[in-house]
Amino acid sequence: MNPKPWWAKLGHASLVLLVTVYCVFPIYFMLVQSLKTPREDVFGNPFIVVNPTFENFEELFERQGEVRGFVGSALRRSYPFLDWLVNTLVIFAGSVAATLVASVAAAYALGRLRPPGFRWWRRAIFAAYVIPQTLLFIPLYQVVNTLGLDDSLLALLLIYPTMALPFCVWMLSGYFQHLPREIEEAALIEGASRATAFFRIILPMSRPVVVAAGIFSLGTVASDFMIASMFLLTANNQTVTAGLGTFDVALDELAAVAGVNLLAIPVMTISALFARGYVRGLTAAMVEGA
Amino acid sequence: MAAARSAGRARDIRLAYLLLAPTLLLFGVVIAYPVGWEVWTSLTDLSPLKDGSAEFVGLSNYRRLLVDAEFWRATLVTVVYAVVTSAGKLALGLGFALLLARPFRGRALVFLAIFLPWAYPAGVSVIGWYWTLNPPTITAYAPFMGHLKFYVDSALGGGAWAFTSVMLFNVWRGSSFIAVLLLAGINSIPPELFECALLESKSPWRRFRLVTVPLLKPFLALGVFLSITSAFADLSNVWMLTAGRIVFPLVGTHAYWLAVKVGQYGPASALALTMGPFLLVVLLVLFRLFDRAERSAA
Repeated sequence: MNPKPWWAKLGHASLVLLVTVYCVFPIYFMLVQSLKTPREDVFGNPFIVVNPTFENFEELFERQGEVRGFVGSALRRSYPFLDWLVNTLVIFAGSVAATLVASVAAAYALGRLRPPGFRWWRRAIFAAYVIPQTLLFIPLYQVVNTLGLDDSLLALLLIYPTMALPFCVWMLSGYFQHLPREIEEAALIEGASRATAFFRIILPMSRPVVVAAGIFSLGTVASDFMIASMFLLTANNQTVTAGLGTFDVALDELAAVAGVNLLAIPVMTISALFARGYVRGLTAAMVEGA
Repeated sequence: MAAARSAGRARDIRLAYLLLAPTLLLFGVVIAYPVGWEVWTSLTDLSPLKDGSAEFVGLSNYRRLLVDAEFWRATLVTVVYAVVTSAGKLALGLGFALLLARPFRGRALVFLAIFLPWAYPAGVSVIGWYWTLNPPTITAYAPFMGHLKFYVDSALGGGAWAFTSVMLFNVWRGSSFIAVLLLAGINSIPPELFECALLESKSPWRRFRLVTVPLLKPFLALGVFLSITSAFADLSNVWMLTAGRIVFPLVGTHAYWLAVKVGQYGPASALALTMGPFLLVVLLVLFRLFDRAERSAA
């Protein structure tokens, strides 16, 4: 083919630039905000930061327990940000792990063992995705209370996996279902157990799809705001999301944005590291099991 | 041999149910029981404000909804919200995916940029968006945002700016997810098909319409489905970005308001359940599309 004319190249490049700016700008804006001093927040240019400072981040960790000065006790509340961060990491890791174990088990059952009516099972599980947990909060609250999980992180560990499970089971079972039978059968004839065949052959093969399921569940868990703020009431039990949601004094604006970034950065880094694998996994799931 | 095989089959089926158990247990506790409760409550007059046990009132909660102007308003807003955001997400997502489908310098970085809005945890980015779009009056850009809010609100009615910002946020985050999903879809199509199309037709629009779209149909359907469900369930974003001052109620936020603020569990449950039939139809269409794709692939 003949080379593209200059205007086509220019058009393409500016389109790429536009798309990138559109996607990244809000994130950039929040990052810039969190690095500002209060002075610069008021008088500076909103788009850039001249004297970046980490004091907003430091403040998040310092404002624990006692308040300094009269103005402090009148206007500024303290919050256990470190606790929030630890809670959040525990919940995120726990929910993703629980989702992966449950969805791989269920997907293996539906895709390889194929109990009677497995297609309908698969559909029914996917259909559960339609039901918004946020609308079920009153009965959910009863369930959580009955189980004695009120104001406990375990309540989230119960609810979060169900939000990601339908899609993960659906994707993984589609993939498992279309793997050729011979892959496992050879191992079974050699005398391996089903479990060995699964852990030595099937699971390593499907790593990209499992990674995709993991990233999807991380994204789902990290996007929740309602459930966390509904079920976690005591400050020390809250996650970063629930805790930051209680900031509504204008004075806390910079600290809130800093807190947002502090949680976002690790989550984004993990997602970015696995981004390629995520696409590969989705593709694999679609080729095999759409 | 046949007996041994059927014994093995029976064992496989038992194992299958065992492996399904954790998922089904979670669904039972977190989804099935609450949905059952909502269905039952929608037929009663249960309320924490009322003494005594709840009474069975039949379909009267539903009948009351039919003549409730606020319900129709919420339904209309929900439909507009779902249609506009889904169309926006799909258009942008498809555009991004097609942009990324062909190699160019720096594609890996652009891919990451497109992936980030979804990867950025929405539970907190919505808080960031709130502070960004509704800055405290002392910040440098507050006057500008104030003017913008004023113009939008005076052109479209009070609360319009808050509602627009909810849509903007939803599209920003959703288009990223759809783009990645569709990119995965494009990658799953054998490149020979596109090469063939390139020989058949010179017009990029025809190639797009006659080759790319039909091949991507199941993935587009999946994208639409996920986007519509998220629009219906999109309670937190609306709540956060409007700080609870909801001028344009969605069915979901209206149900939440009825239940939590007004304490009318019965009507709130009925309201929440009215979304069921719509979502079921979307789901059935999706399954049909996927079944066809599966059959033609086999």
